[in-house]
Amino acid sequence: MREQRVVFCGVGALGSSAAVLCRNLDATLVFVDFDRVESKNLLSQAYVKQSVGKNKAEALKAQLLNFHGVKAESFGVRLTTDNVATLCAKASLLVDCFDNAASRQLLSEYSRKANVPLLHAAVSGDGTFGLVRWDERFKPDAEDVAGQATCEGGEHLPLIGLLSATVARAIQDFLKAGVQRDSMVGLAAVTPT
Amino acid sequence: MAILNITYQGLSADYGFELDANLSDADVRRVAVEIVRAGNVPGLNLPHLGDDAFAGFVVDRLQGGQRIYLRPKVPFGA
Repeated sequence: MREQRVVFCGVGALGSSAAVLCRNLDATLVFVDFDRVESKNLLSQAYVKQSVGKNKAEALKAQLLNFHGVKAESFGVRLTTDNVATLCAKASLLVDCFDNAASRQLLSEYSRKANVPLLHAAVSGDGTFGLVRWDERFKPDAEDVAGQATCEGGEHLPLIGLLSATVARAIQDFLKAGVQRDSMVGLAAVTPT
Repeated sequence: MAILNITYQGLSADYGFELDANLSDADVRRVAVEIVRAGNVPGLNLPHLGDDAFAGFVVDRLQGGQRIYLRPKVPFGA
């Protein structure tokens, strides 16, 4: 049985892409997301056409098994104060790829209370900039407008790829060596901070 | 010497300056417009940058305030 357990909270553009880049880890990958795959997600998220209509967490779990032979776990629900402890139980690492400040804050509060490391990943609305930052130095940014959409087309895909790879690098460095490295990701560079 | 890092339209660059402990976030945004316009930030050449170019940007103060990051908001992930 694998000892390490990485819980990805939010498996949209960043979470799904970063998770795929963690398939080499000797760890149990866990996905939490209530949302469903839509056809517009195919251009910016790690989902394939056959997953349209399915819950994102369950679809990612199925894709990892079918395409890569990697077993994972999924919870197709919204993270709330009532279930956060259950969904994140026994986690070695929490990875926040949510798209709203309230969920990020909820996860931060749990992480600090339960003393579980938490890595945040976040991208700007215009797709030109992203952050990978450990919880000790992270404060969630609010949307300009509630429910503001981003990353629905493919125009941000190169930045999402660079940012997701940086998230995966941070996860792997932490699990293998305990290193906690923050980074800024722009259009052309990843900069340690 | 403190470092102000400015990120704009996907590009980032550093600017060294003597830190004023009373520098507010609004001051950081205003100073950033001035130094970028003046061509003092290598890699960010924007002589016609608007006064409100950094409105809504976030100011992060790390390493005891010796590194200041002026960056776009990052509300998204999923």
